[in-house]
Amino acid sequence: MVVVGGDVGVLESDEGGQGDSPASDPPGGRAVGPAGRVVGARGWAYARVSGPVAALGGFVGMALDTFVLMFKPPFAWREFFLQSWFVARVSILPTLMLAIPFTVLLIFTFNILLVEFGAADYSGTGAAYGAVTQIGPIVTVLVVAGAGATAMCADLGARTIREELDALRVMGINPIQALVVPRVLAATVVATLLSSVVILVGLIGSFAFSVFVQHVTPGSFIAGMTVITGAPDVLIAVVKAALFGLSAGLIACYKGISVGGGPAGVGNAVNETVVFTFMALFAINIIATAVGVQATL
Amino acid sequence: MPYPRLRRSAASWVEGLTRIGTQAQFYGKTLRSIGSAFVHYKTEIVRLIAQMSMGAGALAVIGGTTVIVGFLTLSTGALVAVQGYNQFADVGVEALTGFASAYFNVRLIAPVVAGIGLAATIGAGATAQLGAMRINEEIDALEVMGIRSIAYLASTRVIAGVIVVVPLYCVAVLMSFLAARFGTTAVYGQSTGVYDHYFYTFLNPNDLIWSFFQAVTMATVIMLVHTYYGFTATGGPAGGGEAVGRAVRTSLISAVFVTLFLSLAIYGQSGNFHLSG
Repeated sequence: MVVVGGDVGVLESDEGGQGDSPASDPPGGRAVGPAGRVVGARGWAYARVSGPVAALGGFVGMALDTFVLMFKPPFAWREFFLQSWFVARVSILPTLMLAIPFTVLLIFTFNILLVEFGAADYSGTGAAYGAVTQIGPIVTVLVVAGAGATAMCADLGARTIREELDALRVMGINPIQALVVPRVLAATVVATLLSSVVILVGLIGSFAFSVFVQHVTPGSFIAGMTVITGAPDVLIAVVKAALFGLSAGLIACYKGISVGGGPAGVGNAVNETVVFTFMALFAINIIATAVGVQATL
Repeated sequence: MPYPRLRRSAASWVEGLTRIGTQAQFYGKTLRSIGSAFVHYKTEIVRLIAQMSMGAGALAVIGGTTVIVGFLTLSTGALVAVQGYNQFADVGVEALTGFASAYFNVRLIAPVVAGIGLAATIGAGATAQLGAMRINEEIDALEVMGIRSIAYLASTRVIAGVIVVVPLYCVAVLMSFLAARFGTTAVYGQSTGVYDHYFYTFLNPNDLIWSFFQAVTMATVIMLVHTYYGFTATGGPAGGGEAVGRAVRTSLISAVFVTLFLSLAIYGQSGNFHLSG
């Protein structure tokens, strides 16, 4: 145990109180201070503010724990491979089904523009640039957050409400080390691999759409692909995907192990996972893009 | 029994087809019951609209659905500024960033990102609620009491989702425009006059109206998918969470396909874009 292994347990009760629907709860029900006493109006406001802040703190604590425990010897290889396979299996179909329409949409919109300029031969340039710098990362975000993180959070949440995590703690096994570390690493690795799949599928899909539907010359499409897109762009896309996987895995695991409140709790936790991962990943995407643009241009 | 493998794969095909059929039946029933939901369950619709626009539980704390969707389009709008400005500056036409904002935000980014935001917030929330109701056997209780459960739970949510998406989409489009303008003019230092000139020259009101149409269609599809998965959740306490995950995957895919086909249908023939004249 390193920093806050026990703190996460304390948080569960706070989260449960926040997650309930506000309409059906009498205000007094939520105005329970940290020491467990019922407090007045100021205490209620305090509880409202302290809930999210405590959740944020718990998340940071769990993330730190995860990073520290990643390098402590008994690494759960078996769980890591099982989880990698699990995330990959859940995400591969959504990846294909999202990458194809997204690239076709982009290529279609972009080619309208290029045809108007009289530069349809350069559609390969737009396709490669769009697929590598934006479509690849965005589709990876959608898949990692919408497919991988939700499945992971649902699985971990189910274990939490079946009290399997408490059982692990009783047996002297740190659930962060046994369950969270392999999951976070699995999400990172699979997201990195998925982004290359997305880029490949995107390039093939846009080639097929441009050449067979919009009658662009195949040779000029291929020749245009490397005009403004190079190895640094591909590298940045892969780094971005790894960052997405890491943060999505952390958020999903935190939401999963802090589930409370029975059947409704797991559903709400998965819902919050989707929303928070989308917000976090879109924010990371813009920062990483700004840094990447500075680095390559 | 001969050919066990063949029979197994045939059975899985039949099962898949049956599932599609059941889904289609559920969607048909939900859409048909919209009329009776309007007549009988008006207060429920109003309650759901309030709940959806504000969000429930921990999501309400960070500002509800409007803020979340606004944030998502804000970040993608800023992406137009970052990527568009730098790429155009590379070939010396950074003045056209305003054009990129007016063209790509309206046709591509705002509808898709708003659809993603809807699926994640309102849609997943509806699945979580309905899944919990199904697992606690509240839906069975409704049916025993003689309440039309599909009209009361599913149709009302579809109506509320479609009503909520209109102001929500206004916020989404405005945010994407503002972020692109702020990023280009305030951060990268382009003069606002240049930006506004190209932005307003290429902003096509027809495109905007079509993109609203796309958003409303996406909202309908997303709410239908999410209510179906919530309504048919099984498997005890864990089932609610798994249903939310499955629903998000399906609705993201269907939302993107809806946008693609609508774009092809709307802009496919002529492109509806004129650089000059």
